[in-house]
Amino acid sequence: MNRAPILFLGVFCVLAFSFVGLVLTNQLTYGAFTTHVDEDEGKAFPQQLPGIAAQGKLVYQDLGCVTCHTQQVRREGFGSDIGEKSRGWGERQSVARDYLREERVLLGSQRTGPDLRNFAARKTPAGADFTADWLYSYLYDPKLVVADSSMPRYAFLFKTQKIVGQPSPKALTLSEAYAPEAGYEIVPTARGEALVAYLLSLKDTYAYPETKNVYTPPAKPEGTVEEKKEGTQ
Amino acid sequence: MATDSSLTPELTPESSSSHPAEAAAIDASLRTSLVVLTGSALVWLLIAGVLAIVSAWQLHTPAFLDACEFTTHGRLQPAQSNAFIYGWGFNAAFAVSLWLMARLSRGALPGSGVLLLGAVFWNVGVTLGVGGIILGFSTSIEWLEMPGFATPLLLVAYALIAAWSLVVFRAGRSHQIYASQWYVFAAIFWFPWLYSIAQVMLVFSPVRGTVQSVVHAWFSTNLFLLWFASIALAAIYYFLPKLLVKPVSNYYLASLSFWWLAIFGSWAGISRLIGGPVPAWVQTVGAAASFMLVVPLFILGLNFYGTLSGRWSALKDSVTLRFIAVAIVALSLVLLAWVASALHGVAAITQFTYFTAAQVQLGLYGFFSMVVFGSLYYIVPRVLNTAWASTPLVGVHFWASTLGVALLVGALAIGGIQQGLQLADPSVAFADVTKATQPYLLAASVAWVILVIGQLAFALNFFWTIGRASADCVRSAKTLLTVQPEAAK
Repeated sequence: MNRAPILFLGVFCVLAFSFVGLVLTNQLTYGAFTTHVDEDEGKAFPQQLPGIAAQGKLVYQDLGCVTCHTQQVRREGFGSDIGEKSRGWGERQSVARDYLREERVLLGSQRTGPDLRNFAARKTPAGADFTADWLYSYLYDPKLVVADSSMPRYAFLFKTQKIVGQPSPKALTLSEAYAPEAGYEIVPTARGEALVAYLLSLKDTYAYPETKNVYTPPAKPEGTVEEKKEGTQ
Repeated sequence: MATDSSLTPELTPESSSSHPAEAAAIDASLRTSLVVLTGSALVWLLIAGVLAIVSAWQLHTPAFLDACEFTTHGRLQPAQSNAFIYGWGFNAAFAVSLWLMARLSRGALPGSGVLLLGAVFWNVGVTLGVGGIILGFSTSIEWLEMPGFATPLLLVAYALIAAWSLVVFRAGRSHQIYASQWYVFAAIFWFPWLYSIAQVMLVFSPVRGTVQSVVHAWFSTNLFLLWFASIALAAIYYFLPKLLVKPVSNYYLASLSFWWLAIFGSWAGISRLIGGPVPAWVQTVGAAASFMLVVPLFILGLNFYGTLSGRWSALKDSVTLRFIAVAIVALSLVLLAWVASALHGVAAITQFTYFTAAQVQLGLYGFFSMVVFGSLYYIVPRVLNTAWASTPLVGVHFWASTLGVALLVGALAIGGIQQGLQLADPSVAFADVTKATQPYLLAASVAWVILVIGQLAFALNFFWTIGRASADCVRSAKTLLTVQPEAAK
């Protein structure tokens, strides 16, 4: 190892090996992966985000939500994301095709907060569907709707404005301690509305061919029968 | 004060080099560049330290500074990691690698103008990047959050700075290529490749779907292993034998571990995608490559612990060695945790928890930064040709860093494992999982405060030493001009 050109060649080849093996191979094999056209529904899945939700994703990115929230549901038996006894974070595991239309894939690496991949298909702690109103209150001050939440407030996504004519339908309904002075209301800003639209678009409920017939580990470690279980439809 | 007898030998410029005059000339040629690089590294270290305290505090007190979008946790945390990595880490790595390369290749720096221009560009780029994150231009890609308007500048600046390590390497008089030089030489080629590919494939022209996740895992673990760890290993291979005045034990294995680490390490990063929405073979290859890291772990252990064995008493006399000894322990733990996390059963628990944050801090602070601290304690007095201004501050820095890292990593690791076990048990409500991590997160915040105390001691000592060195310069210049006017011609 006393010859600089040989050292250089080795150093070059080593990284070239992993670059070709990992980056290029993946790009060439499944980098051209296509959407799944469902002829019964006449649509291609995954579907494009509606415009306002796409704007909301930019808000999600600029506020760094990915710092604390992952967006990937792991398979049954790996952690407790889905399955019978689980946190019920999704109806099925996330697959590569789910992310096809995303210009920026935000898998995330920390679950300081819950996973959000299938957020809009889940239920509130009270058991109802998530609504824009619920999310507005939650973002304004999480403790308003979830007493033991440890998420910071995003009150800067809201503004206090004077009520002109009819009150805005998006205005927050707040208890007296939080309510603005009479004649004023608190409404989400455009960014707040976009973020909520994005959060409500987070739904991976469509079953692709590859999400059916996935291997599910046996319920008991001693179980002798390994069976293939039908995935959720 | 310059002749303080309590100072340990490496804190003063007098060295026992085999070519004392040449070494002094090399150090003198590097003076301005290293002062600028180290000075800016320290400023970024303090900025990152303050950001770390605030963002760590927000984890257990969510209402802290959440009224304004510029200080929301989701922006401060990436601002912290980018200031730490690109501000502190890179400036410091530039300084240490340039000095190592110049000394080992026995080549002086021909001129510092271009390098200084590069340093200015680099710091402007990092300022734009970190400022951009806080103002809301983040890309939300971990360790690449800096917006696209800052990053091309960083690559240009990198070329202007790193090229000089190659210049002194090629122009130097030494015909031997020592282990430290392999690592620095390789790291200098690897980083621009990793960074430009990541920028193009993730930010400027994003690839489809989760190929992005593969590229990202490839980039971020290689940034640690092929850049930060390479530079730190270069410094360890240099200082261990030098300060212990004995050869590295089992040195013949060093080249094997270099190539092994490069070949398998550069594949090992994707093991973080285990269980993720990427092809199964990618996860399997990542796990297999991670297991291969057992070999360099073993060889580096033989090299480093073997060299240190029987000479532990030398740690008492040398600050540099003490920092490096802590770093060697941290490196062993980083590699062990890496191998362990590639096991499916372990990954299912530790993935997405504070345990991974502990691994990152152990690698970047406990290993890389500790090596750099130790190296700078040796390099700075030689380059400035003056002793460190204060010995007590050195002690404060060492103990604050060691205790701080131990507390930070310990709290995050134990808290993370507990968090992982509870997350895996659906009968524990999510809010209770969060609540149970609070004491550990509080301990992590305290650890950051301790770490910043150490950083302040280091920065104070550094700028004090510079002040004294420049005062000496001014004095000698005055003497030169008044007493011996003919000598000034």
